[in-house]
Amino acid sequence: MTNLKANRREVVIGLAAASAVPAIGFAQSGTPEIGGTLKISHSTRIATLNVMQLSGPAEYPCVDMLYSGLTRIAPGRNSADPDLATSWEANDDASQFTFSLRQGVTFHDGTPFTSADVVATYEAILNPEFGSPARSVLDMIGSVEALDDHTVRFNLNSSYADLPISTAHANARIVSAAALAGDLNDLETKPNGTGPFKLESYDSARITRLVRFDDYYKEGQPYLDAVEMHLFPDLAAESANYLSGNVDVMLNVQQADYARIAAAEGSNALRVPAGRYVNVVMRQDQPPFDDVRLRKALALSVDRQLLVDLVLEGLGRPAYDNIVSPEFQYAIDTPEIPYDPAAAKALLAEAGYPDGIELTMVASNRPAIRGQVAIAIKEMARPAGFDIEVEAMPHDTYLANVWRKGTFYMAYWGMQPTEDATFNLLLTSTASYEDTAWFNEEFDELVRRGRSTSDPAERAAIYAKAQEIQLRDTPYIIAMYQDVLTASRDWVRGWTVHPLNRVFYIEDVWLDRA
Amino acid sequence: MSELVRSPTGLVGIVLLTVVALAVVFGTVLAPYDPQAFHPAVRLTGPSKAHWLGTDQFGRDILSRLLTGASSTILFGVGATAIGVFAGSVIGVTAGVLGGWVDSVIMRTLDGLLAVPDLLFTLLIVTFLGGGTGEAMLAVAVAFTPGMARIARSSVLSIRTREYVMAAVARDESQAYIISQEVIPNAIGPIIVEATIRVSFAIMIGATLGFLGLGAQPPSTEWGLMVAEARQYMYRSPWVVAVPGIAIAVSALGFNLFGDALRDAFVPRGRR
Repeated sequence: MTNLKANRREVVIGLAAASAVPAIGFAQSGTPEIGGTLKISHSTRIATLNVMQLSGPAEYPCVDMLYSGLTRIAPGRNSADPDLATSWEANDDASQFTFSLRQGVTFHDGTPFTSADVVATYEAILNPEFGSPARSVLDMIGSVEALDDHTVRFNLNSSYADLPISTAHANARIVSAAALAGDLNDLETKPNGTGPFKLESYDSARITRLVRFDDYYKEGQPYLDAVEMHLFPDLAAESANYLSGNVDVMLNVQQADYARIAAAEGSNALRVPAGRYVNVVMRQDQPPFDDVRLRKALALSVDRQLLVDLVLEGLGRPAYDNIVSPEFQYAIDTPEIPYDPAAAKALLAEAGYPDGIELTMVASNRPAIRGQVAIAIKEMARPAGFDIEVEAMPHDTYLANVWRKGTFYMAYWGMQPTEDATFNLLLTSTASYEDTAWFNEEFDELVRRGRSTSDPAERAAIYAKAQEIQLRDTPYIIAMYQDVLTASRDWVRGWTVHPLNRVFYIEDVWLDRA
Repeated sequence: MSELVRSPTGLVGIVLLTVVALAVVFGTVLAPYDPQAFHPAVRLTGPSKAHWLGTDQFGRDILSRLLTGASSTILFGVGATAIGVFAGSVIGVTAGVLGGWVDSVIMRTLDGLLAVPDLLFTLLIVTFLGGGTGEAMLAVAVAFTPGMARIARSSVLSIRTREYVMAAVARDESQAYIISQEVIPNAIGPIIVEATIRVSFAIMIGATLGFLGLGAQPPSTEWGLMVAEARQYMYRSPWVVAVPGIAIAVSALGFNLFGDALRDAFVPRGRR
């Protein structure tokens, strides 16, 4: 415990201490009132409640209510707050982490939470057969051992200073060891977590209702008696119900509706800049996109500011193909890519298409933004010689037949908590949802090194280089970052949204009916 | 023909259909702008001198889109009805002429299908075939077939016992001759009337499928799809939804009125 080389650890521990103070409500005023049912509307189905697998926009708030993790993403920042772990310590080279677990926590079924549950959960996440989306950000963990009932040690294969952020991954919430030993199908419909709310009823086509868990570890919380997640497959019906006061919170507001929702009386609309993006996937293990000149030509054919205005109603920022948005600590100043059809045309000719090229781009119909971006790009790229046919298809067909198989399609991703998670989601050769066939060894190596480097300056240099390689090769066209939009009625206190759209802190929410 | 023009419904129907027909034939030529070109500076604006019917969410000229979309929207209705009428007539005439157990089997099967509402039946078929204009057209045609078969059969049955058919039978004419020369020419009237009215339903079902994302696909200018794409901007600029909606209604109304007048002209009983 000397001061030598300990600055990273101090940062980590200091952070834990700073936020160990009970969550002081920001955006709150007055004394929270106990009771009431919060109704949240959403437009995508809650297909599963399996915390190890789920990935839907309306599934994340559910998992955030039902389960707790070792750590949790702090409100408004990309750093880790204590959750089931009260504090943690890393060794000097950040290759070994020791987490002290909270005492007296119980699962919804009354069984006590111990280190055995942590070990079982992490072993399941690290088991490739489970296919957990959290694995890609946690696969540096070599072993997890329980030192005693309330202390767990993670031994890493390589240094990884961001481990406490990775343990906050939405799919890395703690499941009881008994549940993992039993019938795994029960995870889908009978979640047993340690979160502030427990499941009362689950109807994936209509309403999911959660009720207060009285033994939640935060004293006196949650304030609400119950939370209902109402599904509205029709967006117009969703806004109408919100505006009439039938629901209290609209989880996601559409850009086209935002101005109307924000202007409505008694409605608080919230807009948070985020690193969410629609990306053009161009598969590079076959013609025509194996030629970087073609990809660069398309990149020059997209008017990014116009796209923000047309598709996002200005509720976003233009992006210049960098998968790392400016919110990230190590984001570089990405050079602007001008809209230059003439230069694109020249580049296209150089690539062997002097008379232009015909392409078919697939855009699934959900959410509508994919199709809108596709149609806008089709028109913008026409003067450069791109003759793009947009093929719309139902989202399920897209997932089954095109996603990660097609050569040219629109994808849509949310923001990740760290640079490492961002790169390992899509771009490295072993990424969870790798779909470009880019396979750049130098990039892979940089991401690997970035992960095990703890010195911030050194890390910044490594991640800058990785981003430069990405920008040089244009594996994706990323034309804009989309703001996260949500809205709540004015009697709802404490409703927040994080740029990551993964944590919601609903135990802090209360209804001011006075 | 003079009958048609004299009745007010017929006249209105003919006028509406002429307008629609002009749009179908000359739409692409008449369109003032490229229907896919963006005009970002004036997006979601109401009618103006430059854009007579306003612009949509990408700033595309709605009048141009409407004119170029006429052919795909109307021809969809006409095409689907034509296929349905042809298939239905063949089945209906066969059942009517052959009679006996063949008739019973065919008609009971069709009765069963008739019990399923048209739109539901169409959705079922489209779900099975997959979305797209061709598939949607086929689905509407299939959904129309049972009804058309029933009408064709009843016309055939009423004609089968007429004197001129009896005479042909007495002359020992061949079955084929009787059907093609005596039965069909006399049974075709009600079928044409029904078909005209059905075109309006076909247009509306086509627009519905486009609206639901199962028919034409963006960036097509099919009218139903235009409504669907613009729907989320409805509160900002009602024009975007209203214009293609009215266009669908007008053409459906045109076919409906024309069909009504046609029926009045064909069925003398209704005349004073």
